[in-house]
Amino acid sequence: MNRNNKNHQGSQPAPPRWAERLLERLTAPHIRDEILGDLYELFQKRVQRYGSTQAQLLYGLEMLLLLHPRLWRKQAQYVNRYTTTVYSPPNPMAMLSNYVKIAWRKLNRHKSYTVINVVSLSLGMACAILIFTLVKYHLSFDTFHADQNRIYRIYTELHTEKVTYSTGVPNPMGEAFRSGYNVAEKVGRIAFLTKRVVAVAPQKKFEEDIAFADPDFFDIFNFPLLEGNPKSALQDHNTALITDRIAKKYFGNENPIGQLLHIDESLVVKITGILRNLPATTDFHSEIYLPFSNLQNHSPWMVEKDWWLGFNKEMQCFIRLKPDVSAAVVDSKILPAIVDKYYDKENAKHFRFKLQPIADVHFNPNLRGYTEKKNLWTFALIGFFLVVTACVNFINLATAQALGRAKEIGVRKALGSQQGTLFWQFITETALIAGLSLIIASGLAYLALPFVNQWFGIKLMLNLLTDTYLLIFLFGLLLIVIFCSGAYPGLILARFQPVLALKGKLSQQSTGGFSLRKGLVVTQFAISQLLIIGTLIITSQLRYSQQADLGFRKDAMVILPVPDNKKSKISTLAAQLSELSGVENVTFFDTPPATEFLASTSFRFDSRPENEKFNISIKAGDHQYAPTFNIPILAGRNLNPSDTIREYLLNETAVKALGLASLQEVIGKAATINGRSGTIVGVMKDFHYKSFRVAIEPLCLTTWGETYNSCGVTINPANLGPTLAGLEKAWTALYPSSIFTYRFMDEDIERLYKLDTMLLRLIQAFAGIAIFVGCLGLYGLVSFMADQKKKEIGVRKVLGASTFGILWLFGKEFSRLLLVAFVLAAPLAWWVMNKWLTNFVYRIELGAGMFILAMLITFMVALLTVGFQSMKAALMNPIKTLRTE
Amino acid sequence: MKGTQLGEFEEIVLLTITLLYDDAYGVAVVEALSKRLERPMSLGVVHRTMQRLEEKGLVHSRFSEPIAERGGRAKRLFTITLAGEQALREARRIRNELWEEIPKTAFDHLT
Repeated sequence: MNRNNKNHQGSQPAPPRWAERLLERLTAPHIRDEILGDLYELFQKRVQRYGSTQAQLLYGLEMLLLLHPRLWRKQAQYVNRYTTTVYSPPNPMAMLSNYVKIAWRKLNRHKSYTVINVVSLSLGMACAILIFTLVKYHLSFDTFHADQNRIYRIYTELHTEKVTYSTGVPNPMGEAFRSGYNVAEKVGRIAFLTKRVVAVAPQKKFEEDIAFADPDFFDIFNFPLLEGNPKSALQDHNTALITDRIAKKYFGNENPIGQLLHIDESLVVKITGILRNLPATTDFHSEIYLPFSNLQNHSPWMVEKDWWLGFNKEMQCFIRLKPDVSAAVVDSKILPAIVDKYYDKENAKHFRFKLQPIADVHFNPNLRGYTEKKNLWTFALIGFFLVVTACVNFINLATAQALGRAKEIGVRKALGSQQGTLFWQFITETALIAGLSLIIASGLAYLALPFVNQWFGIKLMLNLLTDTYLLIFLFGLLLIVIFCSGAYPGLILARFQPVLALKGKLSQQSTGGFSLRKGLVVTQFAISQLLIIGTLIITSQLRYSQQADLGFRKDAMVILPVPDNKKSKISTLAAQLSELSGVENVTFFDTPPATEFLASTSFRFDSRPENEKFNISIKAGDHQYAPTFNIPILAGRNLNPSDTIREYLLNETAVKALGLASLQEVIGKAATINGRSGTIVGVMKDFHYKSFRVAIEPLCLTTWGETYNSCGVTINPANLGPTLAGLEKAWTALYPSSIFTYRFMDEDIERLYKLDTMLLRLIQAFAGIAIFVGCLGLYGLVSFMADQKKKEIGVRKVLGASTFGILWLFGKEFSRLLLVAFVLAAPLAWWVMNKWLTNFVYRIELGAGMFILAMLITFMVALLTVGFQSMKAALMNPIKTLRTE
Repeated sequence: MKGTQLGEFEEIVLLTITLLYDDAYGVAVVEALSKRLERPMSLGVVHRTMQRLEEKGLVHSRFSEPIAERGGRAKRLFTITLAGEQALREARRIRNELWEEIPKTAFDHLT
């Protein structure tokens, strides 16, 4: 072999020392030299070819690729040389039944130990299963469409002082995109309208979400037709597609094809097709689809002007790109080109359009996505923690028990059992427990599923037998649990020195598990404390958001829909409602004070030449709005009765944003908002018109009759029932073709924090389980310790120790561990919760109080757990324990 | 032990061992293989295969003297056994037969 001299000059590069050492330890003796030699030689060659760093990296890589059982398996002949008989490794299958038998006996004998382990493992695993199903459910949203990675939604970014996002696009966008640019295979506009009245016969009325869609819609998305022609669906005027579920609900077993539906009294359509029921994992909720061309008849305001300046979040546009077109190109070239072509200079600055992949629709909070992916990962992490806690119990109890089993192991070893066999026997024992737990866990998960579905308002399914991913997950979970919890105690047990074990000379230290056990208990309690602190903080923030003074009246308010806002109808309704005895105030508006979504628009003040830099949101409400909701007027006066936009009420923030020194300065000035001019007549006090997550921003209130869709009524809570009945009667008399519904204002506010409430409930459940599992483990440990220390306690008592002194013997140990756990958990919890709280502009302060409370709770629970067993130990008659010797 | 069926990769490694005749050891086989198969080969895979070949009795091995360039470690040199030769011939026979029995027209439609 010719070697380059370079190598021998100065310090010769050497392979990574740690890797060599590791290999020396790993490899079986008969191949050790050879492997290290080969690697060394390869390394030297590579140093010359690629340089030292690369060679080091490649060395590591080769080492990883070497990892295989063959690396540490002993050579068969190697054993042969030293034994007279031909060595044959034990037949694993034959041994297995033996392992199982022994394990079963063992578990049967130590019932409490088994029960504790099974209970904690099944709880942990049940949570893991549920969390897995939940995460999988959310990740699978709208992933079932063919070519789903080519499907996009066009969305709007409005660049003003800050960027706002909308799922909708201007009405002409679909046509412009389709005809002007040859990049999409299909372009489908769709308009979603929620809660419309659909009547089959005059008496049979339903409230339903409907959608108006282009014919291409069903070509883009994979919603197959059960009946009807997919080619001609939605082509013809006055037709409709409904899902199978709706068909059953409306017509029972009758043939739905050809039947008529009356939509909001303005449209009569004939059913021409039946869609297969929508899968649970889609963000498309409408079950009735009408041709887009019919939108003109139904909601002309959505399409009234074919203009580029307005867009509605429900007017969306989906496309499927051609296979060779990339979204980046559309984003960077085509959509900006559309802006340049259709907007004047001034507006082109503000409008941007982008593509959103269909997979992102469920997860983008800017664009009304359901949740963020990071929430899912948080849950996954919590699930992982819970499984860890359960495994910790197992390890703790097993190592604690190891001493008790020392004799058994001594005997086995003396009779010729090898470390490997003992280890596998222990693993079998673990596998039995874990397997049993898995079965129980699946059952628990199954039972808990309806509750989870109810909490989240979703339709999770748990198909234990048919869902491949779930099966793989279960199998993986089982393996992980078996090896996490079984391997360490197994190794400890298998390593006992037979002589010492038989003589009973093993001490707690030689089980090696003592400090580890402490560490594990600390981990467990740190996790529970983390969750408890989380629960406490989320609870108080939610209570704060729901109970804080929002700046308006929210109790005893009932909100009714107004299906028809013609002036005559509204005034009749107002008059009739005011006559009812329990009703105090009646007001009409488009949105109640607190709502999640509120569009903002441009604002030109007084005689200033340009629009203001900031945008302003509009609420439409009549002259009763401010008094009904108790919103104080700080300057000027309330709005005068009117149906059109004449006067504006601004909030304080708007006045501040205008840069004026006093509230009085705006009174009487002109304002042009969203292109409509009026006079500013007053300033109302700031109130929280969105959730506490966002700061109060400029807002105006104006009378704008045509947008009123709700009626707010303050009622006397004393005789709620009759008043509500009165409301229904008056309302139904006026709107006979509509369905009466009502809601309380407080529900609106709760809805703003829906996701947080879910998060809270989950964390509460998890914290409960974590602490319960932790306590089970603690209970097991203490009973075991009490058993071990029986004699010590006996001696102490005989020598005059007090009961309290003995209690303290147990207590001090665990108090210390709990304290350490707290010290670990508190900063982490502080960091995590602080991060969560930054989501809120208006929030509680993190005080020491909650942390101390969390610690006290864990302490109390732990004390109760430990207390019972230690009491029993402390009160035991010393004669009983000492007589045995 | 498992049957002495010769796997695809095993066959190639065994051929390489035979080819290298007196200098067939880990690194040499890895390099010869990477060159011929034109893809990088990891020591681990080759090593495992050679071990398996030895267990099947198709090769046997001896150790060389310790060598300085290998950090003072010995090489394990492999040579083919009679059984190995037979296995190779058998594999070749099967392949030849298969090739011969392929009808002339079998590839025609592929143009």
